[in-house]
Amino acid sequence: MIADDNSSPERQAETNEGWHLPVVDQPSTRRTAMKTAGAALGLAAFGKAISPLWSIPENVSVDEFLQQHYKELSDKDKQKVFQRLEAESRETYGAEVTISDPKPVPGVRFGYAINLSKCNGNGACMEACNKENNHHRGIDQSYIRVLEMSKGSMDMEHGTTTYDHTVPQDDKFYMPVQCQQCENPPCVSACPIEATWQEDDGIVVVDYNWCIGCRYCEAACPYHARRFNWEQPEIPAGEINPDQGYLSNRIRPQGVMEKCHFCLHRTREGRAPACLEACSTGARVFGDLNDPDSDINWVLKNKRVFVLKEELGTQPNFFYFFDS
Amino acid sequence: MSSITAQNHTSTDSADSVRSYPRFLWWGLGEATNGGLRFYVWMFVLTAISLVGANAWANQVAEGMIITNMTDHVSWGLYIANFTFCVGLAAGGVMMVIPAYLYDDEEMHRIVIVGEAVAVAAIVMSTLSVVVDLGRPDRFWHLIPVIGRLNWPVSMLTWDVIVLNGYLLINLHIVGYLLYMRYLGRKPNPKWYVPFVFLSIIWAISIHTVTAFLYCGLGGRPFWNTALLAPRFLASAFVSGPAFIILVMRILRITAGYSAPPGPARTLIQIIRVAMTINLVMLASEIFTLFYTGGSHGASARYLFFGSHGHYGLVPWIWTAIVFNLVGTILFFMPAALDRSTVRIAACVLCIVGIWIEKGMGLIVPGFIPSTLHEIVEYTPSLVEWKVTAGIWAFGFLLLTVLLKLIATVFSGEQNAGKAIASSG
Amino acid sequence: MANVRFFRHQPDDTSAERQKSALPRWSLGAALCSLAIAGVGAAMTAEYSDDNESGIDVPGKSVQADSQPGSDDSGSDTGTSTSNFAIEIRKPPGPPRVGTGLKNVDGTEVTVACSTCHTTRVPNHHNKTVKELDEFHGGMAFSHGTVSCLSCHNERDYDTLRLADGSRVEFPDVMKLCAQCHGPQMKAYEHGAHGGMNGYWDLTRGPQTKNNCIDCHDPHAPQFPKMRPTFKPKDRFLEQPRTRH
Repeated sequence: MIADDNSSPERQAETNEGWHLPVVDQPSTRRTAMKTAGAALGLAAFGKAISPLWSIPENVSVDEFLQQHYKELSDKDKQKVFQRLEAESRETYGAEVTISDPKPVPGVRFGYAINLSKCNGNGACMEACNKENNHHRGIDQSYIRVLEMSKGSMDMEHGTTTYDHTVPQDDKFYMPVQCQQCENPPCVSACPIEATWQEDDGIVVVDYNWCIGCRYCEAACPYHARRFNWEQPEIPAGEINPDQGYLSNRIRPQGVMEKCHFCLHRTREGRAPACLEACSTGARVFGDLNDPDSDINWVLKNKRVFVLKEELGTQPNFFYFFDS
Repeated sequence: MSSITAQNHTSTDSADSVRSYPRFLWWGLGEATNGGLRFYVWMFVLTAISLVGANAWANQVAEGMIITNMTDHVSWGLYIANFTFCVGLAAGGVMMVIPAYLYDDEEMHRIVIVGEAVAVAAIVMSTLSVVVDLGRPDRFWHLIPVIGRLNWPVSMLTWDVIVLNGYLLINLHIVGYLLYMRYLGRKPNPKWYVPFVFLSIIWAISIHTVTAFLYCGLGGRPFWNTALLAPRFLASAFVSGPAFIILVMRILRITAGYSAPPGPARTLIQIIRVAMTINLVMLASEIFTLFYTGGSHGASARYLFFGSHGHYGLVPWIWTAIVFNLVGTILFFMPAALDRSTVRIAACVLCIVGIWIEKGMGLIVPGFIPSTLHEIVEYTPSLVEWKVTAGIWAFGFLLLTVLLKLIATVFSGEQNAGKAIASSG
Repeated sequence: MANVRFFRHQPDDTSAERQKSALPRWSLGAALCSLAIAGVGAAMTAEYSDDNESGIDVPGKSVQADSQPGSDDSGSDTGTSTSNFAIEIRKPPGPPRVGTGLKNVDGTEVTVACSTCHTTRVPNHHNKTVKELDEFHGGMAFSHGTVSCLSCHNERDYDTLRLADGSRVEFPDVMKLCAQCHGPQMKAYEHGAHGGMNGYWDLTRGPQTKNNCIDCHDPHAPQFPKMRPTFKPKDRFLEQPRTRH
């Protein structure tokens, strides 16, 4: 290739005494001028190309950008964060909300069981989840998916979630699937930045302000329990549930993961999760696995209980049983 | 570490090296923007495509990933498919390094730097492919140890981040050091790059093994959960990498008049022959296991190869890939492939495309179909995803062109000046 | 004469595919009231040894409010073991009454008790099906196995029910009658595995409300009614609805 004006080290050595900015030494040839013009044009084009990014600072404040991981926030930091989030909710959604941060109750380990003889697939649990957790309205999002399965087979390949007929059908049974809050959660091992972890009461939570949205946990989960916010959630102000938890049902930002959290803003206060209260057939049982007299332990002791995909070794805290 | 030529360097080499560095960079910039009309057109087109990709990505960040076609069912798509392929491309450079340094192949020694340049460009492409896949790229700092919270050693993604960045640094150092020494007219000191070269051999194996471990460790994805995935990745990397390098060498010869001796390409072809055979054997082994046993373990394979429950989206892709791979392998085994011929080029192109499909769309996407709850939701990349990926490739080619330009200038400059510095150091 | 409506607190709509909510609407008011009196109720129920306000009587087992499952104070971690909240079980207020179609002076409907007519008639033990019923009860659906009417209805007092041994059961205590034959379901119910609940799983922090058997199961046609799913996932690219394969 033909060397240009500023190419050869020997040439530069001859023209320079000591060190100073090379640009000063460039002879102003047409080629150099064109290169400069080209560079300026390129930079301008680049700036225009990435101009949609300038909208980001409006949506992401400096405080949010610098916010530390949940486990490293002091109580005062948390108060500031919650206030900021409440203000953002007011601005963006026009709703007054309260964000709380209930701690796990010491000694409690949550378990959940579904009676497959009772579930009739009506989906009231899905709707309750959608409303309780301030889900994006566009696609009727929910953490629960109810599978209509053929009697006589546990093979989900013959199951369907999009059935739209009277339930229950005689030759089918219905199996809601949601986060199993596994003892050995593959999603927690997958996360590269510990944005998701298992708390002392067994609930696997997500710090929505720490997640970078790589979706590795979604690939890792064997139960389709995780959801990603592909866009900014849209919820009418009147439908927003104002009783929100920082790690649970506050309105999540765009680009982060979320999942069923056993309604921890309710269950850590002792209340039943929204899906259980909504269940029309009373097919759901929830309680403290560490309490020998709890309903969930009665079910585990007296019913033939199984878990999904047990061979994967995830050890779910979510159980299924039939009446007899 | 003595200087050989009559340059403006005296005893304090290291101080001079540091002071000359900005001048070296400026020289590089100038060199990289010099060329004939063809060169400028090439760079202009690549820049334009890169900008289109950048704009598409900026839109994706602003509006959310809803403008891609990924869903909660198929949550990884074209970006991660491309990432997987590009890591293989980067690992392929090691197939030049091993003959050059472990087996003292003199001729290969002189052009191994091309392989390392390809590795740099490929690693940059794979890193970009992951960055554009993030939902919150503004939170990238969470990945930095100490100031962020890196979940190492538990998360395979953290291993991937570390090994990819490490490989990039190793190769940047090697390429940069050799170029810089050339620029200064000094003989490169083996102590400063040979250990890194040997490190890069092991490291190259590791980058693709770790990438495979990302997928094959997930029990919830039976299509990926096979021990054979890492060996398959390596085998296909040792085809796509060298094939790509052969194409690059051919382009260098055509555009820059930079002609390498025929020996290294032949070595690469021999390597490709073996690696491709192993790759096909492993593929056959996978296919047998999946289809003979059947059951839900093979559901993804059934969907991929034959369609399932009325969904056939990936069937044309995979069969194209199979045909390309087979035909490409046959072409590689023909004697004509050992000479500079159309057969060789066709074989390289076929195998590169075939492996891109088979490892990318033919591995990542079927891992999600059927979903873990056995629902089938299909996926084809959206226009935004294609634009961004095209932009990434264009940027990778830009980077590669710049690096090769510098390398070619240095080498041909030496040849012109008649400097007889034995071995590329 | 107007159709006899057996469960005045049930909505009129008896179509098979009605949407069933977890609890009838006015139950919210009942739940709130019971919350308010819960603290006082503990003292008041002490006066009622058998028929306590907030417990159920099961043959052979006297279940008091503070010995319900979950409210066991022997294993409580919190230390406030003795002051558990109650499990409130909804009850029908009493025997159903027949609407006559006539109106009182104040506009309320005139209703009569079942015994108003039945004390003037001889009980017919042969009546097993709806066809054999005359005058009232016409149009009633009955599919509850092969039990006869008077297996549950008390021929000596039509305003009450009876157990198999002939002992009397008041309408508000109808669960005792159900449990007589449906023991496994009752056992599961007591442990939260049948029938669901509203309220607190942790009874040291709040009360629970449970349905009565007849809130979901019409005693004459007890099969849980079919429903229509109204909330389906509408994911992108998910085919709706899935065709049979």
